[in-house]
Amino acid sequence: MESDELFINMGPVHPSTHGVARFKLRMDGESIKECTPVIGYLHRGTEKIGEMKTYLQFIPYTDRLDYIAAFPNNYAYVKAVEELAGIEVPLRAEYIRVLTMELNRIVNHIVSIGSLLMDLGAATMIMWGFRERENALQLFEMLCGARMTFNYIKPGGVREDIPDGFIPKLNEFIKDMEKRIVDYEQLINGNEIFHMRMKNIGVISGKDAVNYGWTGPTLRGSGVDYDLRKYEPYSIYPDLDFKVCVRKEGDSYARFIVRMDEMKESLHILRQVVDNMPATKLISMAEYGISPMTGTPTAVSTYFPRIFTPPAGEVYSRIEAPKGELGFYVVSDGTTKPYRVKIRSPSFCNLTAIPSLVKGLKIGDLIAAFGTIDVVLGDVDR
Amino acid sequence: MEKGGIRVDPVTIDTTKIKHTKKQPVTALEKLNDTGLISTLLAAREREGMILFSTIDQVFNWARLSSLWPVTSGLACCAIEMMAVAMAHHDIARFGMEIFRASPRQADLMFVAGTVTKRMAPRVKQLYEMMPDPKWVIAVGGCASTGGPYHESYSVLKGVDLIIPVDVYIPGCPPRPEAWIYGVIQLREKIKNQGYGAKWGLNK
Amino acid sequence: MNSAEELKNLLPGSVISTGLQLNKPMAVVKKEDLVKAAGKAKEIGFDHLSVITGIDYRDHFEVIYNFFSYSKKQNLAIKVNLDHDKPEVDSLTSLWKGADWLERETFDLVGIKFIGHPNLIRILLPDGWNGHPLRKDYDMNTEQFVTIGDNGDDVVSPDGTNLLRRK
Repeated sequence: MESDELFINMGPVHPSTHGVARFKLRMDGESIKECTPVIGYLHRGTEKIGEMKTYLQFIPYTDRLDYIAAFPNNYAYVKAVEELAGIEVPLRAEYIRVLTMELNRIVNHIVSIGSLLMDLGAATMIMWGFRERENALQLFEMLCGARMTFNYIKPGGVREDIPDGFIPKLNEFIKDMEKRIVDYEQLINGNEIFHMRMKNIGVISGKDAVNYGWTGPTLRGSGVDYDLRKYEPYSIYPDLDFKVCVRKEGDSYARFIVRMDEMKESLHILRQVVDNMPATKLISMAEYGISPMTGTPTAVSTYFPRIFTPPAGEVYSRIEAPKGELGFYVVSDGTTKPYRVKIRSPSFCNLTAIPSLVKGLKIGDLIAAFGTIDVVLGDVDR
Repeated sequence: MEKGGIRVDPVTIDTTKIKHTKKQPVTALEKLNDTGLISTLLAAREREGMILFSTIDQVFNWARLSSLWPVTSGLACCAIEMMAVAMAHHDIARFGMEIFRASPRQADLMFVAGTVTKRMAPRVKQLYEMMPDPKWVIAVGGCASTGGPYHESYSVLKGVDLIIPVDVYIPGCPPRPEAWIYGVIQLREKIKNQGYGAKWGLNK
Repeated sequence: MNSAEELKNLLPGSVISTGLQLNKPMAVVKKEDLVKAAGKAKEIGFDHLSVITGIDYRDHFEVIYNFFSYSKKQNLAIKVNLDHDKPEVDSLTSLWKGADWLERETFDLVGIKFIGHPNLIRILLPDGWNGHPLRKDYDMNTEQFVTIGDNGDDVVSPDGTNLLRRK
């Protein structure tokens, strides 16, 4: 039976669009006939700013792309610059980088799962999740003084060595988090209503997902065993033991379970990092009389001046960010500023598929599918 | 004028000749009694002290500042800190503000939390205009205050105060939840001082 | 033999030269033969279109496509050079659905037209925005504002009438 077509505008100010996404929906009764995402409400011109700033000045802007997990953004850009300029990084610095990134992956998945459940109408998980997130943020604060926008990883290493008392607190967090993940699973996984909202909703096959350019946990939820940490390894990931979490179903529930499993794997990685971190004597700033930023080699950072000119050339470097493949295309023309910075953000490419994902579903299912794709609008619009 | 065979004369009443039957208060005690204060106090005693004295301004301001309902309008990074403020650790429910309304028509406070881009600006303004009076705006973070780190960008509005009036600015990128709560307290102080008596400091 | 040379062997007429994009193999392809080359790359296993980058070099444009093969775990970059006066190249939306938004974004910010794209309109900036920001000759001093049109879509207004509180 055909009913009258109804046009619904959803967003850009809507509590479950995770920011300022907007959907134009053509409805047939209660089912979605056509969904047109409208993005760009948070387009801040980051790529143009990249051309105006020096290589070091641009690092804080990468924090504000994916603001839930900022360490991987830092690292992806810094990795591109390091490859361009051929900079060596001390091993201890690499360990600290991986430590921060995996911690941030846990934070990202907590926020992702929490806000997904809040959009579905269950408020407990976000309360629980932000309790643990607060603990992780306190660890970040110990490292660099910031809670969300860090500017901590810099070309040649990290800004400062980890402070005293950090590792015991991290161990405490890991021990606590292990129990909490079990709590989360008991709270959510067996819930009948949750299953009805998530299973067989937003199904996409592995082949289609690859065609749409999906990456990250969203792709692994469709049965494609792919993780850049494993198959194009960077940093110290080749030395670490972890497995890639894959689910075959390709629906919203599978993507949710992949995130749950990845949190456990991240904890596993964190434990290895803490155990194997090379102990080097921390060179105090007083010994040199100057701060490491002015260009003195320390235990966690090779010599690196504030303004530098990498040789002319171009590089595309990518990492496995919590949301997927995050790439930076940096073109240098041999001056102090990049000629072009292109950001390949995972959220942008993952969001491409949403019109086909939600066709024929209800609006409530759009929210579930959109929540499990896990986009951050700062990352989509840049 | 004939009515039922009886002649009735029209009567006119001279209102100026009506005298007040109430006795004008002369003595001090009578004057005090005339204000109603004593009877009110007696009523208060009967009701075991359950009556308060105040001005209308103070009552209204107290009611307004005690339950500020913010509209959910997270724009960028600061919105995540807005979530952190609302959650258990920092718990903005202490200020009666935990009810984030999805509809601006039910809200009286707007956190402009994040970068206001050129494209988002008319929508933020529309959101503000949809809110019922009295309403307040807090610009959170560098971006909403002045454009912040994106001041030189082609697509970012250089401060939300170009389009809507702002009551409190909270600096930071993003501001910590503690800074956020401090900003809320500043707004409460501001609301406390609203009204006719405010310029003489009567409402404090 | 890296993947770019493999592509050159398969399509000797289309690939102009091969080289390295720092550490990843890159093939420079004639712009007329882009769809052919990309299709061949997809055939030999490069199934993941990672990113499309448009660069304004003042005298010409370059568009770079980065591919990855999930089966071979190899990288491949394909580059085409375009005239500055007529930046047009064929669209890859027939091969990769993910190219849709990437091409729209490149059109929006760099101003490269993709022939055959089903819906080539601006994506990050509203329709009617003057200029393409990532071109080197973009005028950064002229401010443009946006207002809401009658049907709820965004309309560019040069002076910000009905938006700004005071001029």
